[in-house]
Amino acid sequence: MKTARIFALAGLTIFILSCQTPPLPSEVEHAREQENNLWRAGAAVYAPEEYTQYLASLRLAKDMFIKEKAKFGWFRNYKEVEAGFQEVLTRGQALLQSVEEKKALKSRTLSEQLETLRERIQRIWKLILTVNETQVVRRSLARAEVAMMESEALLGKEKYAEISRKIAVIQFHLGQAEEAVFSILARYAEEAQVETWRRWAMETIAESRKKGATAILITKLDRTLTVYRGGKVAAVYNIGLGKYGLSDKLYAGDEATPEGRYKVIKKIPQSRFHKALLIDYPNDEDKKEFSQAKKKGLIPPQAGIGGLIEIHGGGEDSLTGGCVAVEDSVMDKLFNEVSIGTPVTIIGSTESVAELLASLK
Amino acid sequence: MKKLVRFFILGFFAVSLFTSCAKQPSQEMTDTRAAVEAAIKEGADVYAADEQKKLNDDLTAALDEIATQDKKFFKKFGTAKEMLAKVKADAEALKAAIPAKKEAAKNAALTAQQEARAALDEAKAFLEKAPKGKGTKADIEAFTADLKGLEDSFPEIQAAIDREDFFGASNTAAMIKEKAAGVSEQIKQAIEKVKGKR
Repeated sequence: MKTARIFALAGLTIFILSCQTPPLPSEVEHAREQENNLWRAGAAVYAPEEYTQYLASLRLAKDMFIKEKAKFGWFRNYKEVEAGFQEVLTRGQALLQSVEEKKALKSRTLSEQLETLRERIQRIWKLILTVNETQVVRRSLARAEVAMMESEALLGKEKYAEISRKIAVIQFHLGQAEEAVFSILARYAEEAQVETWRRWAMETIAESRKKGATAILITKLDRTLTVYRGGKVAAVYNIGLGKYGLSDKLYAGDEATPEGRYKVIKKIPQSRFHKALLIDYPNDEDKKEFSQAKKKGLIPPQAGIGGLIEIHGGGEDSLTGGCVAVEDSVMDKLFNEVSIGTPVTIIGSTESVAELLASLK
Repeated sequence: MKKLVRFFILGFFAVSLFTSCAKQPSQEMTDTRAAVEAAIKEGADVYAADEQKKLNDDLTAALDEIATQDKKFFKKFGTAKEMLAKVKADAEALKAAIPAKKEAAKNAALTAQQEARAALDEAKAFLEKAPKGKGTKADIEAFTADLKGLEDSFPEIQAAIDREDFFGASNTAAMIKEKAAGVSEQIKQAIEKVKGKR
C-alpha cells in the first residue's frame, strides 16, 4: 500500500513537472513597442480614427491575453492570443506607414504653401524697391516675415498644426502689404493712363529728333532719367523721388512728383542740393487739375498748387519733396548739357504693371 | 463518511479564504488614477509628454494585471498593488516636477523676450545714430517701418506667455530678435554707404 502511494505521488510529480507553463508570446512586447512608436509618430493627430480602431483591436488582444493568463499554467494556450496580436501588429505596421505618409504629405503641402508665400514676399519686396511710400507695406512685410521664420522653425519640429495658424497670419499681413502696393500702383496698371504716358514719351523723343535737340524723359516707376539727343538715347541715369513720388503732384506739400510735359526755365548753379534745373511746374494742365480737385474737395482748402520742382543733385538715394534727384556728378553733366527751354517730360511708366499686380493675387 | 464531509467543509473554507481575502485594490486604483490625472492637470502632457505617456502605459499595465488576477480562481493582487503604488509615486513625482519645468520654460521665454527687446532697442539706437538728411531719409523711413512691424509683432510674445504657451513665446521672440539683428546690420551698411560717399 505504501509503495503504491509513493508511486502515485511520484507519478503526480512527474505529471506536474512535465506540464510546463507556456512562455508569454513575444508579440505582446512587440505590440507594446509598436503602440509607443505610433504614439510618438503622432498617430492620434494624423490618423485619429485609424488609431482609435487600432487601440480597440489592441485592447481586444490584451483582453484575450489576460483571459488566457488567468488560467492555470497547464491549461494556458497562447495560440489564439498570438494570432490576435499578430493581427494587431499588422494593423499597427500599416497604420505607422500611413501616419508617416500623411506626415510627409502634410510637411510637403505646408512647405509648398510656405514657398508660395515666400515668393509673394519676394515679389512685394521687388515692387517696393521702386516705390518710396513703403511704410505700410514694409511694416506688414516685417510681421509676415517674422511669422514666416517662425513657421520655418516649426516645420523642422513637425508642429504642423501651429504652422497652419502661422500661415493664416502670414497671409493676413501679406494681404495688407499687397493692398498698400495696389493702392500705390493702381494707376500704373490703367491702360488709358499708361497710353497717355507713352504718347508723351513718343512726342518728346519725336520733338528731340525733329529739332536735333536735347530732351529729358523721366520715368518714375523705372527711376530713370533718360537724355535724348536728336531723338536717340544719349544717357540714362538713376534718380531719387519724393516719399509719394509715384503719385501725380496735385498741391503743395503732397510730396508727389508731377507728371506732364515741362521745360527747363532756370539753371541754378549753386543750390542746396549741389546744382539744380528748375522746370515750369505747374503748367496749364496742372492748374486745371488743381482747380478741379479743389472744387471736388479732394485737396485741403488752404492748399496751394506748389512749385519749385527741380532736377537737382544730392544723390539718387535722396527722398525729395517732389523734385527729381540725381548724383552730383550726373548733375554736373546735365547742367552743362541742358539749356533753358530743354523739354523735360515726366511720366509714370511706358509699361503697364497690370500683369505684375495680377501676379500678386 | 463523516471524514469526507469534514474534508469538504474544510476545503470549502480554505478556498473561500484564498478567494475572498483577495479583493480588487479599488482604493489604490482610484488613488492612482487620481494621481495620474493630477499630473496631467498640472501640465505633464505639455512639459513631460514622454514621462506622461509612460505613466499611462504603466497604469494600463497595472490595471491589466488586476484584470488578470480578477479572472483567476486564486487571486493575488500583491503585484498589482505594487505596480499601482509605483505608478502613483511616479505620478506624484512627475506632478511635483512640472512646476519647475514650467518655470524653466517660462524663464526661457522671458529671457528670449528680453533678448528680442534688446535687439529691437539696439536697432532703434542704430537708426537714431544714422545721419539724417535728404540722402538718407528714404532708408531711415524704410527701416523705421521695418522696426515698427517688429514692434507690432512684439506683443505676441507676451500674449503667448500669458496663455502659458512658453515654447511659442520663445520661438516668436527668437525670430523677432533675428529679424531685428538683420535690420541693425542693414542700418550699419547704409551708414557705411553714406560715410563712403562723403
